[in-house]
Amino acid sequence: MVSALYIIVAGLGGAFALGLFREDKKQAAFLATLLILAFMSLVALGWTVALATGAAAPFDIITAGTQPPFAINLRLGLAEAVVLSVVTGTGLFSAVFMRDALIEHGQRAMAVLLVLIMALSGLVMTRDVFNMFVFIELIVIASAGMVLLNDNLNAVAAGFKYLVISQVISILLLIGIIFVYHANGSLNIDDIAATPLGFTGPSLAIFLVLIALLLELKPFPANGWALDIYEAANPGFSAIFSAASGTAALFAADKLFAAAGSDWLILATFVGLFTFVGANVLALSQNNDRRLLGYSSVGQIGLALVVIGQRDILGDSFLYVAGGIVLTHAVAKAGLFYLSNCVPGRNIVDWAALRRMPVLIFAFAVFIAMLIGLPPFPGFYAKWDLAHTLAAADRLPVLGLILVGTLIEAGYMFRWFGYALKRDYAEGIRLLAAPNKGIAIAAALIAGWALGYVWGDLSGNVNLLTAVPILFALAFIPLDFLPAWVKNVFAIAGLCVWFFIRMPVYDPMQMLFAAIMLIGGAVVFLASFAFTDGGKRIGFYAPAMLMYAGLALLVEAQTSFGFFAAWEMLTIGSYFLILRGKLSEPHALSYILFSLGGAFALLFGFALASGGVQPFALDGLAEVSANAAPWVFVLLAIGFMTKTASMGFHIWLPGAHAEAETDVSPMVSGILLKAGLFGLFVLLTHMGHQTLYGIELTRVLVWIGALSAFIGAVLAIFQEDAKRLLAYSSISQMGYAVFGLALMNHLGWLMALMFVINHYVYKSMLFLAVGGVYKRTHTKLMYQMGGLITLMPFTFVSVLVGIIAMSGVPPLSGFGGRWIFYNAILESADRLPLILVFMAGPVGFLYLFRLIHTIFLGQLKDEHRKTKEAPFWLVLPQMIYVVFLIAFAALPGMLLQKVDGYIGTLFNDQPLVWGGWAGREIFSQYGYWNPVAIWIVIVAVFVTVFLILMGLNHNAQKVKQFNIVYSAERPYKPQTTHFAWNFFAPYRKAMGMLEAPVVTTFWTGVTDALSGTAAFGRKLYTGNGQTYAIHVLFFVVATYLIAMGGAS
Amino acid sequence: MSEIAMFTGFILILMGLYGALTHRDIIRMIVGFTIADAGVNIVLVSVGMMAGRTAPILDVIAPADAAAAIIDPVPQALVLTAIVIGLGITALMLAYAYRLFRFRGSLDISEFRDLKW
Repeated sequence: MVSALYIIVAGLGGAFALGLFREDKKQAAFLATLLILAFMSLVALGWTVALATGAAAPFDIITAGTQPPFAINLRLGLAEAVVLSVVTGTGLFSAVFMRDALIEHGQRAMAVLLVLIMALSGLVMTRDVFNMFVFIELIVIASAGMVLLNDNLNAVAAGFKYLVISQVISILLLIGIIFVYHANGSLNIDDIAATPLGFTGPSLAIFLVLIALLLELKPFPANGWALDIYEAANPGFSAIFSAASGTAALFAADKLFAAAGSDWLILATFVGLFTFVGANVLALSQNNDRRLLGYSSVGQIGLALVVIGQRDILGDSFLYVAGGIVLTHAVAKAGLFYLSNCVPGRNIVDWAALRRMPVLIFAFAVFIAMLIGLPPFPGFYAKWDLAHTLAAADRLPVLGLILVGTLIEAGYMFRWFGYALKRDYAEGIRLLAAPNKGIAIAAALIAGWALGYVWGDLSGNVNLLTAVPILFALAFIPLDFLPAWVKNVFAIAGLCVWFFIRMPVYDPMQMLFAAIMLIGGAVVFLASFAFTDGGKRIGFYAPAMLMYAGLALLVEAQTSFGFFAAWEMLTIGSYFLILRGKLSEPHALSYILFSLGGAFALLFGFALASGGVQPFALDGLAEVSANAAPWVFVLLAIGFMTKTASMGFHIWLPGAHAEAETDVSPMVSGILLKAGLFGLFVLLTHMGHQTLYGIELTRVLVWIGALSAFIGAVLAIFQEDAKRLLAYSSISQMGYAVFGLALMNHLGWLMALMFVINHYVYKSMLFLAVGGVYKRTHTKLMYQMGGLITLMPFTFVSVLVGIIAMSGVPPLSGFGGRWIFYNAILESADRLPLILVFMAGPVGFLYLFRLIHTIFLGQLKDEHRKTKEAPFWLVLPQMIYVVFLIAFAALPGMLLQKVDGYIGTLFNDQPLVWGGWAGREIFSQYGYWNPVAIWIVIVAVFVTVFLILMGLNHNAQKVKQFNIVYSAERPYKPQTTHFAWNFFAPYRKAMGMLEAPVVTTFWTGVTDALSGTAAFGRKLYTGNGQTYAIHVLFFVVATYLIAMGGAS
Repeated sequence: MSEIAMFTGFILILMGLYGALTHRDIIRMIVGFTIADAGVNIVLVSVGMMAGRTAPILDVIAPADAAAAIIDPVPQALVLTAIVIGLGITALMLAYAYRLFRFRGSLDISEFRDLKW
């Protein structure tokens, strides 16, 4: 194999050799540059493979024929080889990417690029501190040269600021190096490691070296210069600056931190955390795409620095964790910088133009997912392991800050993605795409997925890219060219087949949830046939199936990792689904933020519960140590309640569900919310009652459930938008379920399960019905509808059945839920929340009445006179639901008896007796429920009344629709005189204070405070190079004082 | 002797940095950094200084006695490298100054603040 030294030889020799080309042979010189870079990359990759597979052992390259420390030695271990691959690979593809600029500037620019990559490689391999200094200076000179590829004032000014800072850094570094040498007698890193300089005596020397290397990493807030480079330079170079230089500098810093001894790690941790959180907060108010990417780069490198700071506890997994974070960042950031050069505008809103090439949107989504650390990319596995190690070592504040920083980063990244997907772009706009850019972006994409596979393979947990449901979902991405109806058939078939394959392994509880999520999902997909329209529906099936894949894996997850990975999958999938709605951009953002916040709470909780031991079986939740258990409970419960949209975490739901597409609403409402309930089931099954500071936590849940049930219902009655009404109603319904679960008794759980089934059925049905009305009338505002009963009879029937079921009156299945509920609360001691839940019932009646009254009864609008029934494929699933509801109401034992028995095994009791009249009667301590008899009575009463009315029909007097006029006046604002507008005005007077957006105000306050901090904080970066140099000096002094103060 | 040199070196570094960070004129800033660089080089040499020994040139002294007779050659080698690098950086900064001047007709650093926040 070619010696790694040839990476340096090729770079340096190539740079000189380029001078041999004639001035006008620029194409040939460019080709030669690419060949040299490709050679360097191949050598690096070859060593990576050889070292990773064990075909070669790590070795030192001795120079000048003399042993160190009398000559410089270079080292090549696995970590070096990987970083070299990143550096040379980025160099190669950035060169491809910058083809036009390089050819324009000729051989000199290409030589500078080769020197840069060579110097970065040298920095990675060398084991000599002074040699590091030399390579760093070479990098500075070459980088300043590359900045000039963009020959404009901003780039030149940024380059000059960079040089100013580099001068300051090199002064610090040189002084540090000479005194380290003075104290140690050697410049070799391994000799320095042999005699660690702690915080005593010559500590200032090593401090200067370390801080100089930290400054190379652009720590917040001493990094204004770097942001300018990111903003002004050619994106191809920015990719190198972020991915290659950043990674190499991190590696160099890591080498010295390892040598300096574990006393110094805390410096890396602090600077890293401060940088990660600070840079991400300030990024919130960025509008320039490249500057935003710069902030994000700074933050990510801070995160990597935190990982370096955890060297002492990470042990063997250090390379896995650090590599996962650093490599995903390098690949994703390079990809994003490449993408930025395809977009003709510099504002992040201009990225909407990417929609002209959907494959670029896909690339954008992948890069963002990588950056945030979502599965199945390496950052996900790395964060999981990091969280567990931190929890085991009791470094919880570090973990907390990492998660907060990540969430903030997710905030601006997903906001940006929302802009790209939803904002308008100028009609004739053209992307600045070119084949060479395509090659570079494709390389980043391939590298990202490949790394995802490798990291999954190396992980001690499951490789997500081998999980069948996920692969099935991902298969829809390349299949997106197929017609939508074909994909829809595949999707339905996939869900059903998976369910029947997995049926034998489910226990009754899992079976119930899986049936709702998978078979229920298939039924909802029937409605999707109404939206195929002979088109392809690009970008719908992959996220939808990703969500279902997540749900399928969630139900049968055995370990905390499997559960969490599935949770993240379904969150990502549902986010993309929700984002498809016309006006859903802000709602999708708040959905993903709450969901990720919840997911991070889960991650924290699981890490805490496991005590760092992996794999951690979910059953192990029962054996968490007594002092950690309540916190685990709180964290997991918060995580799950973000999905069930319980009061306090509910503000994402109404918009997300209401603005989603017609067939997406039932998916994210009827099905997705159940994931949160499933989580709560798992949590309560294993952890049961927990007490924190003397407060019984399940009682808190009881209250949250009751408040959600009541306030959700109150908010629902004041909605004008039919889908928003249904959305608020979901908050209320989930509140019931949470309440039932939190009662921690058999009947409470049975009631919660009853709501799981019922809510899926009637909420899916109602969303489809209202969606059908929307499709025909093009409005969701109820006061603009009316009198549709004769025009849309099937839809009317399903809404009628739906609201009867939901309101809990006999004979439909909602009554069964109520009946169990009444039994459950009679056993419970919590009177006050009980009354709240009780009151939610009649309030629910109000909004349901409004739904049917204002849409289907009353006056038909002129513009709706030609309205037709909803499309067949929308009506079909509704009719399936109607049949199911009637059957379930008559024979609840079909589904419930097994589940009831299963709950009995959990609580060791059996309060309900199934039997009596032909085995269809259910007895409890307080009474009995005979569904069939109820049906007979109701039908008999209905038929009797119906016959009487028929008999009286001859007395009825026909009137024309408009025989009441507005006193010959046309009202200015017609809807205000419509009876359906502000339908419950009297109630608003009485209960309006409950409508006050307290929670919304709170969360708005949080985000406003953050963006205020960002808008104010970024003023720090005045743009003046001297100010930046002063920042750097202050940063050094402050860090030194804090470090010494901390040590003494 | 070496203390005086080291002291002078640090004074020069501080003077240079002060000059570079207080003068708005880009050429003066570059001069400031050059002074600081010179200071760094003096500090480097002074660290390698050992009283009563001679220069590390082996044609005068027998290699066998060299270890006890000469001063540490490493800092001197480092200084040579540092001087070369300093020259490179200074040249680059001057080139940059020239470009900046061509863009705006000014060498005031505070006028190049279009990128900020």
